[in-house]
Amino acid sequence: MRKIETDVIVVAAGLSGLAAAIAAAENGAKVVAFEKANTTGGAANMGMGPLGVGSRVQKKQMVTLTAGEAFRKHMYFTHYRVDARLVRDYYAKSGDTIDWLMDMGVEFTGVMRAFSAPENTRAYADGEFTWHVVKPEGGGPPGPRCASTMIKKMTERAAELGVEILLETPAHKIIVEGGKPVGVLAKTAAGEEIEARGKAVIVATGGYGENPEMIKEETGYEFGKTLFSFAIPGMTGDGLKMAWEAGAGRVPTTMELMYKIPDNMNHFVLDGAFRQPCLWVNRNGLRFMPEDQIANTTFTGNAITVQPGRVAYSIFDSALLRKYKRKGPDIISHVHPPDLYDHFDEQWERDLEAGYDPIAQADTIEELAEKAGIDVAGLVAQVEEYNEMCDNGFDDIFEKDRAYMQPIKKGPFYCCRQHVSAYGSLGGINVNYKLEVMDDEHKTIPGFYAVGVDACNIYGDSYPFILSGNTMGFCLNSGRIAGENAAEYISE
Amino acid sequence: MKITINGQEVAARQGMSVLEAALDAGIFIPHLCKHPNLDALGGCRLCVVENEATGEVLPSCMMAAEDGMKIQTDSAKASGARKLSMEIILATHPADCTGCPKYGKCELQSMFQFMGVGPERWRKRSRSTPDDLGNPLISHLFTRCVRCGRCIRACRELRGANVLDYVKAKEGIRAGVPGGKSLAEAGCKFCGACIEVCPTGSIMDEVGQMKEGVSYPDNVVPCRAVCPAGTDIPRYLRYIKNGEYDKAAAVVREKLPFPRALGRICDHPCEASCKRAALNEPVSICKLKRAGADRAQDSGLWKARAVQLPTTGKKVAVIGAGPTGLTAAYYLAKKGHDLTIYEKNAKAGGQCRYGIPAYRLPDDVLDAEIAEILGVGVKLVVDAEVCKPADLLDEGYDAVLVAVGTHKGVMPPLEGNALEGVVTCTDFLKQARTNSLPQIGESIVVLGGGNVAFDCARTAIRLGAGRVHVVCLEAPDEMAAHKNEVDEGLEEGVILCNSSNILAIRGMGRVEGVEIEKINGFHFEEGRVVVSAIEGSKETIACNNVIIAIGQRPDGTEGMGIELRGAYIATGDTLQTSAKGIFAAGDVVYGTKSVVEAVAAGRKSAESIDRYLGGDGDISETLIDYEAPDPYIGQDLNFAGLARHIPELTEKSHRIGCFDEVEQVFDDAATADEAARCLQCDLRLCLTRPKLWNEYEGRV
Repeated sequence: MRKIETDVIVVAAGLSGLAAAIAAAENGAKVVAFEKANTTGGAANMGMGPLGVGSRVQKKQMVTLTAGEAFRKHMYFTHYRVDARLVRDYYAKSGDTIDWLMDMGVEFTGVMRAFSAPENTRAYADGEFTWHVVKPEGGGPPGPRCASTMIKKMTERAAELGVEILLETPAHKIIVEGGKPVGVLAKTAAGEEIEARGKAVIVATGGYGENPEMIKEETGYEFGKTLFSFAIPGMTGDGLKMAWEAGAGRVPTTMELMYKIPDNMNHFVLDGAFRQPCLWVNRNGLRFMPEDQIANTTFTGNAITVQPGRVAYSIFDSALLRKYKRKGPDIISHVHPPDLYDHFDEQWERDLEAGYDPIAQADTIEELAEKAGIDVAGLVAQVEEYNEMCDNGFDDIFEKDRAYMQPIKKGPFYCCRQHVSAYGSLGGINVNYKLEVMDDEHKTIPGFYAVGVDACNIYGDSYPFILSGNTMGFCLNSGRIAGENAAEYISE
Repeated sequence: MKITINGQEVAARQGMSVLEAALDAGIFIPHLCKHPNLDALGGCRLCVVENEATGEVLPSCMMAAEDGMKIQTDSAKASGARKLSMEIILATHPADCTGCPKYGKCELQSMFQFMGVGPERWRKRSRSTPDDLGNPLISHLFTRCVRCGRCIRACRELRGANVLDYVKAKEGIRAGVPGGKSLAEAGCKFCGACIEVCPTGSIMDEVGQMKEGVSYPDNVVPCRAVCPAGTDIPRYLRYIKNGEYDKAAAVVREKLPFPRALGRICDHPCEASCKRAALNEPVSICKLKRAGADRAQDSGLWKARAVQLPTTGKKVAVIGAGPTGLTAAYYLAKKGHDLTIYEKNAKAGGQCRYGIPAYRLPDDVLDAEIAEILGVGVKLVVDAEVCKPADLLDEGYDAVLVAVGTHKGVMPPLEGNALEGVVTCTDFLKQARTNSLPQIGESIVVLGGGNVAFDCARTAIRLGAGRVHVVCLEAPDEMAAHKNEVDEGLEEGVILCNSSNILAIRGMGRVEGVEIEKINGFHFEEGRVVVSAIEGSKETIACNNVIIAIGQRPDGTEGMGIELRGAYIATGDTLQTSAKGIFAAGDVVYGTKSVVEAVAAGRKSAESIDRYLGGDGDISETLIDYEAPDPYIGQDLNFAGLARHIPELTEKSHRIGCFDEVEQVFDDAATADEAARCLQCDLRLCLTRPKLWNEYEGRV
């Protein structure tokens, strides 16, 4: 058993853990972080960048959004059912945090929004320019995974400050003495046990997205059946369990919902090709939302989750496919490549041949419904009604944007089943605005902090895509706030 | 010699590449196809650097270090070329890592994090190849292959197995098994080197092999990890395979003092976790241990380095000379303590002597191993029952270990259980062992479905019983008894009544029969058995004796004056009981388990008692130097199909009339052949894990 003495112990060195470790070390604390993986950054390595409000980048881009406005937007979005003080402190800090990162050498290509609402819904659900997209170190335009450059800079900064990061050494227990955490037990990949002692413990393990039992227990979703979420290896909920066992209060958790097709990365062209404002129906053949909203993955994920069987079907006909091939998609995605229809036939044929279950092709609507598992009479009636509305040039039901009122008439018809998905879990540990852990009686436990998605209880039921970059933004800022508070606590 | 990298002078040795010199000096240069155990290839071109003198940009792994050389790792030319190389790699590698089980353990991911290459040329060509999950233990997910060739070089150059090669598929060139063969067909020996060196998630351990919360070496070599005593199984199997039995014995004896006994009667959890089972059947580890230990018995190699520390002046008493007590006494005596064992019976051995019949564990084997234990200076006092452990402290012992096991058979509250002729398993087996058994009748019924029930039944047959029934609640596939115990018993004439509930023992003063009823199944409610009986299935088996073999409990613990949990002794992590200086270990603490668990408990208690007496608690021994295994294992087209060897048994007609040992030791050929079935899972742990950028001090 190896013994380690330090000031602050950080459990997991993902984005929030790194931020906490750096902030604590910058404020004079000796920090040791325990990380499961051989790489720091956790899920953030897959991301593109964090939220910030009031940063140098935004000012340069003449984005006028203030932290106060962001706070109001967030609170309307969540109907005030979350901790307003924590939300306020988070946004108030977020601009400075971007500058803090830039001082570490992180560069941003600019500030973007993840979602731009169609004109007629802009008042309710438009994205703000808060998303600071990281510039890849080697140059070139940004894309998925480009935030790993930010992780590298943060890791180097942590090393420079003397933070000790033990890789492939997961902590598995928080040692509690006298009602407060005083250390953790960890184990190296080689099996060596470590007992680390410190004055403060910060839990930053990234939720339970890879733990099907916990997903079922916490949210009722069945992984691989009713939920096709990202399952990033290592996100097993061990940090939540450790914290609860150590006396942390337990608050309800959610999955950060969106939607996708099963095994989407191996069928990426189809994932993108069907994410268009064509005809979307549920299992009964009935439309369930104005399809002009499908680029809003949060709302669409929410809409699908209340449909029978928690599925939806995206349908287009040959005429529409020809149009997409010729003119490109109706809605440009920031995730899928714009030239995806060039590769559609190849992927479609291959997947049909391989029997990829979510897709179906047929020459008639009846046959399509049968193959796809949609109620035949329901779909036939819906297509008839929909085509009539297209002919009339107006959606009497949902008032979908006229530009997208394109009939489903010419076979063969194409259908792809859409499922509820999620980025990962959110929340679980009861924290206050200083990210101090509270017990079930809302009493603060001294020296105990939780950050990142383990402590992200501020989204209510849905990801606030209107202020994009929010998950990484909360991870960074909650980590930073906790690190500063922990350093202050130990110096008291 | 000295070379200069980025203006920093570093030392290099003749024959080193520039990459090796840089990495040695703590300067990280990205690289993928170069692995510490494999020769450089210059294939991935991530390690390109610029030679200042010539302006050439070349892979540093292929550039020999020369005195006075000046190298720039990060010049515009070098980083441009490196970036292009990474883009080419990423162009065909799946862009989404979230579904990949290698996430967070992936070298490519780490390399990418270090370089931060933009994605502009990605998604060029997806080379999706169907996952091949059909091979045992090793999963091929070649959509993720980056063609670095490490697995191929490891398989060919390090292992000589020549199973993997570059294959040309419709989607392009990648690693694979040529000719569309399975790994077994290609002569793979499933050593896992390919998994170990793969920098991405292309070749991975089959799902379920790598368990959360288990250390990496324990996941890779599960047999060794699950052995309660921690014996280094692959290491001693290699010696046995080569006929080096003395060395094998030394490896085994580093962890336990009963190799020959355990080679016969161990319940071998190692075999249940043996990865070979994924190919066909597990290696016969237990019987190989016997084959090695029986052959090595006259050698003293293992004694040459055995630890014997000078006397400490501390006195320890052990109550009970079973496997726990003997093991604890052995290691404590070697730590220099003065050891005395008090044994209630006439001979040492505990359940090994009085529970396990001699046809499974002969006396001479046990005697020889106990003699070795006593030989290190342990005093044995027999026919000495100690009722109050505290008395021994008063007599001047510094510590006492209670290891009295579970020698009292459980008697169920069954109608007729007081009739003459009803006996518990523990009494029956002990009386049979000590020739103090009252006459048994022609017809016997044994109640119970575990190994002990079969020990009783087979002993009864040897004592002359004509008809022996074993009656148990369990269906055939639910029985706790090992399959070979059941099979050998049936062969000897045991009549098995599965799914049967005993309702009562019938008789007038003396047993005349048992009334049973067939059941559909049973479950436990609040610790009591609840059966679902089949109506009208009652019948009576006429018999002269009933042997109850449904469990055992500690005997006499209630009067010991220490805290109990039920009949069992309560201890903390240190195995100390509620009384200071009195420790307890083995079955008397955790209930009836196995001999190897008892040995492990003996070791643990020895460590704890040594610490209590002021020692360091370290009872480990290195009886033989570690010899690195030969990694060049070659190819064997028949390897996957090699069948498990079964020990020969003595003729049934002979064995039912006596207590001679039934199972015969493997002959030389069977021993070598069976040991050669081992996958040597530990071989891949000898490979060096590449250091990633975040483990270096200086970086590009």
